[in-house]
Amino acid sequence: MSLPNDDNMSAHSQLSSHFFEDLLDSIIVDVASECHRVARLGLDRNFEEEEEELRLSAQARARVADSSNNGETNSKYVVDIFGQTHPAVANEIFECMNCGRSIVAGRFAPHLEKCMGKGRKARLKVTRSATAAQNRYTRGSPGSSYSSYSNSTGMNRLSNGASSGVAGEEYSNGSFEEL
Amino acid sequence: MRNSVNRPPTPDAVEDQEKEPTLQEIINIKMIESGEKEKLMELLRERLVECGWKDEMKALCRAYIKKKGTNNVTVDDLVHVITPKGRASIPDSIKTELLLRIRAFLASAAL
Repeated sequence: MSLPNDDNMSAHSQLSSHFFEDLLDSIIVDVASECHRVARLGLDRNFEEEEEELRLSAQARARVADSSNNGETNSKYVVDIFGQTHPAVANEIFECMNCGRSIVAGRFAPHLEKCMGKGRKARLKVTRSATAAQNRYTRGSPGSSYSSYSNSTGMNRLSNGASSGVAGEEYSNGSFEEL
Repeated sequence: MRNSVNRPPTPDAVEDQEKEPTLQEIINIKMIESGEKEKLMELLRERLVECGWKDEMKALCRAYIKKKGTNNVTVDDLVHVITPKGRASIPDSIKTELLLRIRAFLASAAL
């Protein structure tokens, strides 16, 4: 009695694996065709910027690494009330929560601009459906779900770089209230 | 005396080609008909997005496209680029989950 069962089991597992591979292959083809479409239609706004950003990040990191002693003699010789000096480029390196890259804090604000969208260029980031893309094209309606950066079209800099991902309304004087 | 009367019977070429559907095919049909295949596909897609697999594959694609140049890449190329890594980097938990569901279906379909 056990033998037919065993045969059944292994035939079943074989069939299951085969079927799973089929599903996986279909999904792989989907992903490939999606990437192909995005590349050919030029929808990926980050495409050319990646290398530029990597270069700038590496630059920032280099500056942090070797100028930490020369912070005093560089352009910004600022001593705060505790007698501390601050390096020209902020030290810490951490991960962007949007795209997952490691960014030096001093480069975080410009990075977020590109990553999340300050204006036309980054705003046209690729999305799955055309309707979602159209939502992004309409500017600055505070009630929309993109309100966290939709009002920053007039500003070129995020005020403290810490406004990412927080759902709140940004007023034009730069202050920021959480609902 | 007409030749047509003694004509040899036409060979059973047509019948020979229609083999019995394999077990594989039967299962496939059952899966599609019951809607289970669609559900499994959606489940797998969701899991793969959650665990970042899809993003990894997209990154691979972008890197390849950058190397080759946007206009020289075909979907076929990309499929061949992704498939080995894609198959290998599936997390075990996802694979197990899907396999269990498939097997449950096989059992319930009394095959």
